[in-house]
Amino acid sequence: MKILIVEDEPELAKSIKQYLTTEQYLCEVAYNYAEALEKTDLYSYDCILLDLMLPGGDGMKILRHLKEENKQDGVIIISAKDSLDDKITGLQIGADDYLAKPFHLPELAARIHSVIRRKNFGHSNIIEQNEISVDLLARKVMVNNKEVPLTKKEFDLLLYFISNKNRVISRNALAEHLTGDMADLFDNHHVIYVHIRNLKKKLSDAGSANYLKTLYGTGYKWDI
Amino acid sequence: MNNLLNRSLKRFLLYSGLILIAGIPIYYLALSRLWQYELDEHQIILTPEARREDSLLIIGAVTILTVIFFALLLGGFILINRRISRQLWQPFYNTLERIRQFDLNRQQPVEFTPTDIAEFSRLNEALDKLLSANMATYHRQKEFADNASHELQTPIAIAQSKLEVLLQSQPLNDDQFEQIEEALNALSRVSRINKNLLLLTKIENNQYADLETIKLSALVTDILQMLENFLEEKNLRLTTSVQENIEVQGNRILVEILVQNLINNIIRHSPEGSSISISLNKHLLQLTNAGTSPLDAGRLFMRFATTGSHAPGTGLGLAIVKQIADRYRWKIDYQFQNNNHIFSIQF
Repeated sequence: MKILIVEDEPELAKSIKQYLTTEQYLCEVAYNYAEALEKTDLYSYDCILLDLMLPGGDGMKILRHLKEENKQDGVIIISAKDSLDDKITGLQIGADDYLAKPFHLPELAARIHSVIRRKNFGHSNIIEQNEISVDLLARKVMVNNKEVPLTKKEFDLLLYFISNKNRVISRNALAEHLTGDMADLFDNHHVIYVHIRNLKKKLSDAGSANYLKTLYGTGYKWDI
Repeated sequence: MNNLLNRSLKRFLLYSGLILIAGIPIYYLALSRLWQYELDEHQIILTPEARREDSLLIIGAVTILTVIFFALLLGGFILINRRISRQLWQPFYNTLERIRQFDLNRQQPVEFTPTDIAEFSRLNEALDKLLSANMATYHRQKEFADNASHELQTPIAIAQSKLEVLLQSQPLNDDQFEQIEEALNALSRVSRINKNLLLLTKIENNQYADLETIKLSALVTDILQMLENFLEEKNLRLTTSVQENIEVQGNRILVEILVQNLINNIIRHSPEGSSISISLNKHLLQLTNAGTSPLDAGRLFMRFATTGSHAPGTGLGLAIVKQIADRYRWKIDYQFQNNNHIFSIQF
């Protein structure tokens, strides 16, 4: 899996690369408009993370260019602009997703995961992990071929963990993933705890091994 | 409200009416003097009856003449007035219409119709200068809001991503993890505050100017449905009495933010297991939740007034509500009754 990070802020690009570099993602970075254009012309990527305000040009132009050339790369816009106009324009031109800065890296990983899955739709809309299989289309989870009834939040959590397997996830990132801008509705993350407990219980009742580990009291990790 | 020309017309008519009426005794005196002089000249002596009859005749004739002249004057004035208002004031009405249609949001310069009347031409020039300056300021502010967003969000994103990468490093002990988690929490809050401040700037800059009819009943129900999970998780009992088909005029995004902030607010500040109620009718949206002591109503809607170490919010939610309510001239009110906080918006 190849990912291109188009981001002029070297420190941010470095963190993203560091976070995403695992056995399944190979990351390249373009720091400006010209570099980005050159790389997208020469190679194809499974997913391009595209910043909009770039030295040398507007990221939106790169997106237009990609669409004109009929490239199949998945594109996620990562921008500090979060006005509705920019989102709509980006998605209309053909971006697959739009993530406003600042974002949590696990959130970015989850979005990349889902874009790549969607692009490779034909052969795999089912994620297999040992005895667990997740049907993304039907939003169903099977353990040892038996369906586990999950609520929408539990399903979202499971996908989030699978997209960030073997990484430590903080409760804060989980809360924002589940509630978005309403994360500040609660002073503690008690709610997250309840959802995680339920998810864990449902999976283990269905006979799955315990992959979801609690770390350091408040963090979580999908260990596989 | 009077039109400019009608106002002057009234004065003119009043004045001419007064002159004409005051003219009646003067005409009468002059005519009777002349009549007397003619009688004396020809040595005619009238009986008292004939004299009375003559003066009545004179008064009658004078009055009729006065009325005729007054009617002529009146008709003339009205006709001339109409013509003047149509011709002379036309450039003024043109200008007025252009300004009325002007929308800062659209960033379209106003083009005034050229006029050969010096005063109106000067007025147009002055307005043109004023509007151009306004548009430039607006543009600069909008640009600032956009840039500020970019400039602040990027460093926050860097700090946040560094902490998240740090979180992956092994080994990490409980204490270190907790420190990172707390720093992440604080950063999330900074980012939300920043977003809300930008929203306030955008509202102030009139960036949500377009108006549409919004079905408020449906909006309230939708938002409540969206927040159902939060209600459940805090075990809150909700009573609603939402009248159907209530509509208001406003910008969809702003009205949504207003309702959402108010509802978020009462959910956030309600003790677990308490009850909240929401009612909506043609003139009033009212939200009630349980509380222990009254809030400082004077400061409640100010920025950061409610921020405290115990509060998870950004301290801007109610300031945003107030800003939006003010914009549509809706009256916002807070009361504390029977251990209940009551927020209401009058449309």
